[in-house]
Amino acid sequence: MASVVVRDVSLNFGVVEVLKSLNIEVNQGEFLVLLGPSGCGKSTLLNCIAGLLEVTDGQIFINGKNVTWEQPKDRGIGMVFQSYALYPQMSVEGNLSFGLKNQRLPADEIASRVKRASEILQIEPLLKRKPMALSGGQRQRVAIGRALVRDVDVFLFDEPLSNLDAKLRNELRIEIKRLHQKLENTMIYVTHDQIEAMTLADRIAVMRDGIIQQLDEPQAIYSRPVNRFVAGFIGSPGMNFMEGTLEVSGSPKVKVGDATIDAKGYDFDKKPEAGQKVVFGIRPEHVMIGEMAKSMPYTSEVEIEIVEPMGSDTLSWTKLGGQNFTFRIDSEYAPKEGEKVKIGFDPARASIFDANTDIRL
Amino acid sequence: MADTVETGMIGVDARPARRQQWEKWLIRGIVAAVLLRLAMLMGLSAFFEDLGSVGDWLVEGLPWLCLAVGAAALLPNLSSGIRLQGNRLANHVVGWGIGTALLLIMYFFGPQIQPALSFMGRSARVLVEFTGNQGLFLAAMTALVALSLAVIGSEGQLLHRPGLFERVWAKNLTAKIAAVPMMLVALGVFTGGTIWTVVYSFTDSRLLPREKWVGLAQYERLWGEDRWLISIENLLIYGVCSLVFSIVIGFMLAAMLDQKVRFENTFRTIFLYPFALSFIVTGLVWQWVLNPDFGIQGVIRSLGWESFTFDPLYNQDIVIYGILIAGLWQGTGLIMCLMLAGLRGIDEEIWKAARIDGIPMWKTYLFIVIPMMRPVFITTLVLIASGIVRVYDLVVAQTSGGPGIASEVPAKYVYDKMFLGQNLAQGFSASTMMLLSVLIVLIPWAYLEFGGKERTRRASDV
Repeated sequence: MASVVVRDVSLNFGVVEVLKSLNIEVNQGEFLVLLGPSGCGKSTLLNCIAGLLEVTDGQIFINGKNVTWEQPKDRGIGMVFQSYALYPQMSVEGNLSFGLKNQRLPADEIASRVKRASEILQIEPLLKRKPMALSGGQRQRVAIGRALVRDVDVFLFDEPLSNLDAKLRNELRIEIKRLHQKLENTMIYVTHDQIEAMTLADRIAVMRDGIIQQLDEPQAIYSRPVNRFVAGFIGSPGMNFMEGTLEVSGSPKVKVGDATIDAKGYDFDKKPEAGQKVVFGIRPEHVMIGEMAKSMPYTSEVEIEIVEPMGSDTLSWTKLGGQNFTFRIDSEYAPKEGEKVKIGFDPARASIFDANTDIRL
Repeated sequence: MADTVETGMIGVDARPARRQQWEKWLIRGIVAAVLLRLAMLMGLSAFFEDLGSVGDWLVEGLPWLCLAVGAAALLPNLSSGIRLQGNRLANHVVGWGIGTALLLIMYFFGPQIQPALSFMGRSARVLVEFTGNQGLFLAAMTALVALSLAVIGSEGQLLHRPGLFERVWAKNLTAKIAAVPMMLVALGVFTGGTIWTVVYSFTDSRLLPREKWVGLAQYERLWGEDRWLISIENLLIYGVCSLVFSIVIGFMLAAMLDQKVRFENTFRTIFLYPFALSFIVTGLVWQWVLNPDFGIQGVIRSLGWESFTFDPLYNQDIVIYGILIAGLWQGTGLIMCLMLAGLRGIDEEIWKAARIDGIPMWKTYLFIVIPMMRPVFITTLVLIASGIVRVYDLVVAQTSGGPGIASEVPAKYVYDKMFLGQNLAQGFSASTMMLLSVLIVLIPWAYLEFGGKERTRRASDV
């Protein structure tokens, strides 16, 4: 059953179209991540779902109820913000209970909800403190608690980890995942961090310019990006893109400069046409060297130009068919600059895009 | 290089505790000297006069003794940090030292040397200029410069924690020099002037200040005068009303402008515009507006409502409210601007969070936003309060204290007594009362503010 439905939602600020006729269905208990570069409209979409922004056109349903014109408090949502947005003059307990007191809930009900939330988030020792006396991670936990006590079905997260340092971010990421497993609520999570998106999401919606580019499971988005933007946005370091032309004599081949890559085993979405201009994309981590390269369907010998050691892996820069090409391998087997090595990869794992439309072939 | 660093490190460990001890004694000495000197001025000297010549010596000498003890405490502290040998400013130190010596020689032996320099003609007379106290003062200044240069020069050699002397002289020297005039004004005008005023309020000075002590007689007279009592009452009404209404109206205007209205800049300019006018102009404008013949009353009567009466400036009972209206009109715009700036400083996500929690707007303002704007409120409070205490020109321009003495205020009372009534001491006692009332408000507030911070810090440590 769909928990949150966004139907044909558009939003304009004056003449600027921020959201363009968006459609999303989020299933009950699903963790959906809205991912995209800044300014793509992902936070705006979340604010529309929360009711903090009025949509120009379209409808929003939460739990089957049309909430397009409802107040935020009546939509059955809880929200967590990037800057925590705690009430600084109130203790943690006050922050958790202030909204409930306004709903005129009985005191024992409030107390039990606060107790439950603080147990789940392990913030019981902090209840009497002011937000000022908390660390960033603790503050964000309190902010999650404030959404938790509202006892709602849908949680909205607006870049909740962006203000934390890298280590805390990893810790809290796992905690949010645990929380989702435990509560089994619907969660919609906005981020620009692809690691957060990949690790947390049941499904990811990659957005650009107010349009959802691809809405799919993380693995599918990684291995079968629908267009060149998604392919380039997901994955670090980014995918290798090489411009070439398609040949369809026998099995389809991509000609990149002086190299010809046999695309045997590649699952074409559309029928390839001869002489079509294409962009051939292969992820750096799918390239092998040395002995392992020999068993690959495509092999070539290249000269290493630059190596970038990154600890566990090493990123090597070279040229293939006259175009820049990077590959990532275990630092143990890393080549040296100037060395000639044999590389190989499986074109079946590659992505081929139409050079004009950027759409996957 | 490594050697110096290492010895320096030892210095860091060994020094500070002892240093602070000395500094404490220096400060204690100075404070004791100043207090003693004041006490002597205020009449403690009479107690010593019975002791004869020893008493005289105590009266003059005791404060200086305290000062000397303090200075002596400074010496071992300084000398432990100074090395003339290898001091990078050694030449300068020696130069200023020679200057000091020359000045001292001139101070002690100026008249004796003068005849020997007769070949210089009249210019030798310059020497005489250095024989008085000013010569001693100059010598002390040059000695001080020599001493501080010695300290500054040796700083690089010992990596010790800077002592009081270095902190006072060597760090941010330019900024300190630039601040000297301000410090002199602050000390001389604010502190010195205040003390002088308080002291002379116990005299019977009339046209000119004189030291004939009359105890509290001036205060008794002050509190027996109707004019003063009415002034106080007016100030209370004006103060409470203008505090409450300025803040309430200023905040409401700011909250309205914060709703992302159109032409916000225009509105802000309109509301802030009166602030650009002086109180004199404001007073005159409102004198005309409230004039029964030409102002509001006249206009409404000319529209046909013949019995309409609105003449606050001509009614003894409500004249102070007429002044209040003008004061509010002038001052509220600034308060609004400050409040608006404070509102803009509130994170927008706080508003969003409150909306999700379903907290009504007025409650969000009252329980979340206003507590967050505490610093802005304190600033406005100080601004309004200082405006209230010194309200004077508005009254002078609008009513000149009339009708009768119905709109007198304390500042006007002080001015009138001091400069028009030729009764200095009476004016002084009135201004002392004003200072006292400010202190009564200020001191508990300071305890609340700074004592409170200490408490929260301790709480957060736990």
